[in-house]
Amino acid sequence: MGKPLRPRPLAAALVSALLIHAAPVAAQDTEPSFLARAIESASLFEQPAQTPAPDPYAAARPCAGCPPRSVGRSFLQVTVVNVFYGIANLVRGQVTARVTPKTWWENMENGWVWDLDDFVVNQIGHPYQGSNYYNGGRANGLSFYESAAMAAFGSATWEFYGETNKPSLNDFINTTLGGIAIGEVLHRVSWLMRDPTKSGSGRLWSEIGATVLDPVTGYNRFRRGDASRIAEKPADMVPSALSGFASAGALWRGTEHEPFQGSGQAFLEADLFYGDLLHGRSRSPYDAFAMTMRFGGGGPVSEARLLGRLLGEPFGKNGKFQFSVAQAYDFQKNDAYAFGAQSFDGGVAFTHPLSSRISLALLGSGGLTVLGAIDSLPLGVEEVPEEEPESDAGQGVSEGPRFYDYGPGSKYTVRALLLRDNAPFAVAFYEGRQLFSLDGLRANHFLQHARLDLRVPIYRKIGFGVAGEFFSRHTYYQDAAKTEREFRYPQFRTYLTWDIS
Amino acid sequence: MWIVAGGTSATVRGDCQTCEEDFPYRHGPGIVANAGYRVNPRMDVGAEIFWVPLETASGTLNTTHMDAVAQFRPWRTHGFFIKGGAGMAFIRNWVDAIGPGAINSKALSVVVGGGWAFRVEKRVGFQLFASQHAGALGDLQTAAGDVPDVLGNYWSVGAALVFR
Repeated sequence: MGKPLRPRPLAAALVSALLIHAAPVAAQDTEPSFLARAIESASLFEQPAQTPAPDPYAAARPCAGCPPRSVGRSFLQVTVVNVFYGIANLVRGQVTARVTPKTWWENMENGWVWDLDDFVVNQIGHPYQGSNYYNGGRANGLSFYESAAMAAFGSATWEFYGETNKPSLNDFINTTLGGIAIGEVLHRVSWLMRDPTKSGSGRLWSEIGATVLDPVTGYNRFRRGDASRIAEKPADMVPSALSGFASAGALWRGTEHEPFQGSGQAFLEADLFYGDLLHGRSRSPYDAFAMTMRFGGGGPVSEARLLGRLLGEPFGKNGKFQFSVAQAYDFQKNDAYAFGAQSFDGGVAFTHPLSSRISLALLGSGGLTVLGAIDSLPLGVEEVPEEEPESDAGQGVSEGPRFYDYGPGSKYTVRALLLRDNAPFAVAFYEGRQLFSLDGLRANHFLQHARLDLRVPIYRKIGFGVAGEFFSRHTYYQDAAKTEREFRYPQFRTYLTWDIS
Repeated sequence: MWIVAGGTSATVRGDCQTCEEDFPYRHGPGIVANAGYRVNPRMDVGAEIFWVPLETASGTLNTTHMDAVAQFRPWRTHGFFIKGGAGMAFIRNWVDAIGPGAINSKALSVVVGGGWAFRVEKRVGFQLFASQHAGALGDLQTAAGDVPDVLGNYWSVGAALVFR
C-alpha cells in the first residue's frame, strides 16, 4: 500500500487549469502568462494587504466584477471542453472516442439518429456536459441567450466530431436544453458561494468550492486572476430573495402490486428558491428559479428538478397576478420508475398575503415538452432483463435494447403554496403530461404526478416535514388490440429539514 | 422585425433504426423563410418554414418543417451566424423505398445551421447558409405495414434575402 496522497486543492486546481488551457491566442502574447497569474493569485490569497496588480481585462468588462467579454475565447473553450471529454473517453478505453476525419465525414453523411444509451447517461450525463459548454459562454461574458447558442454549438460539434457513434438527436436536445438549465443554475449557485469583496483563505476556499460547481467559470477566474481580485459581485448574480432547505429522511415507495415497501430508503435533498418566481417584471432569464436535488431514495440521484423563469410580467391590481414563461428540466429515476424531460411553460400565478409573513400562492401553467423520456417495457415483459455481457462491439458502443421511450408532448401543472417569508411550507402540486413516443415502444403515455408536502419548524432552523406523492403512468400501446396499461407508484416521505436561507 | 426568404438545394435521406436497407440520398430544390423579432443586435428569434418537394419514381415526396428558431451572430461587425431550433415537420408520401402508399405523418423537427449575412443597404441584405433539418417521425404507416423509428435528415445549402 502506497502512502495516501494529501489533498492539495490549490495545486490540483492550478494543475487542472494548466491542463485544460490548451492553445494560447494571439491577444495573450502581451499579457502575463497563466502560470505567472496563478502564482500571483496564490500569493495574493496569503497576503491580502498587497497592492492589487492592474487589471489587463478592465476594458472588456461591463462591470468591475464581471467577466471580460470574448466570443472567440468562448468558442475556443467550448471546443476545448469537447477535446477534454474526448480524451477522457479515450483514457477510459472507449472505442467510440477513436475519431478521425473519416468518422467525422461518415457522421455528417449519416445525419441524426436516436441512440440506445443508458437513461442516466442521456438524461443527466449529457445535460451536465452541456452545462460546461454553456458556461464556456457565461465565463467569458456572454449573455444567457448567447451562451445558449454556445451550448448548441458544443453539443452539435460533439455529436458529429466527438465520437464515432452516429450523431444522436436525443443527445443534441438533452445536451443543449438541459445544459442551458443546469449551466445557468450552477453558474448562479457558484456565484452565491463567492464573495469577491473578501480576501484570504476563506475567499480561496469559496472560489475553489464554486469551481467544483462550475469548473469552466472557476478555471477562467483563476486564469485571469479574478479569483483573488477584489471587486463587487456582478449585480445580476445577486438574487432579489433567497431561501432553501436541506433535508434528510426516509421514503417508502410502492407499486400497484405492493402498496409500500417494508423498509424505507434514506435520502438527502436540497431545495433552493432563488429570486422571487411569483413577483416582478423580469427580462433576465433565471433571475428566479427553483431547484430540487435528491440523493438516495432509490438511486444515487433519484430526482433533479429545475424551473427557471425566462420572463415575467405582473398584471392586475397591485400586481397580484403574474405571467411567466419558464424553462424546466426534470429527472426522476428510482427502482420503480424513470422519467426525464426538457420543457417550456407559460403560466399565471396569483398571490394573496394572509399576514405580514405568510401568503398564499396559486399557480397554473401549461407548456410543451420538447423531448421527454419515460421507462417502458414491451407488452408481455414484466421486468427489465439482466444486462447481457458486453458484446464485441467495444466499450462505449450501446447496442440496446433500450427500455425507455423518447418523444415530445404537452404538460400542465397546478400548484397551491403557503409561503412564510417567501419560502413554501405547505405545497399541493399536480402535474399531468402526455408523451407521444417517437422512438421506443409503439405507445403513448399519460403521466400524472400529485404531491402534498408539509414542513413545520421545530427549533430555530430545524424543521420536520412529511410528504405524500402519487405518480401514475397510463400507457396506450399502438398494437392491434389497442392495449392499455396503468402503473401506479405511491410514495411517502418523512424528513428533518435545515433552513439554509 | 427580421424577415428572410430564399431558396436551397437540398439532399434528403430517410432511415430507420431497425431497417437493413441502405436508403438513397435524394436531391431537390427547397424554399426557406424566416420571420421574427430582433432581440438585440446579436440575436434574432422567430419562426422558420422549410419546404422540400422531391420527385421520385412513385410521386412527389413533400416535407414542410415549421420550427421556432433562434439565430445568433457572435460578432456584431461580421456576418457570421449560427442558428438552431425545433418544431414540427409534416411529411407526405415519405420514403417510397420503404413501401408504397405512405400517408401523411407529423414529426418532431430539429434544425441546426449557420451562414454568413451580407448587408447591401441599411435594412436589406442577403445571406448564404447551410443547414440540417431532422424529422423524427416515430412510426411511419405504409401500405406494407408500420415502419418504426423513422428519422429523416435534410441537408441544404442556399441563399436568401434578408430584411430588417
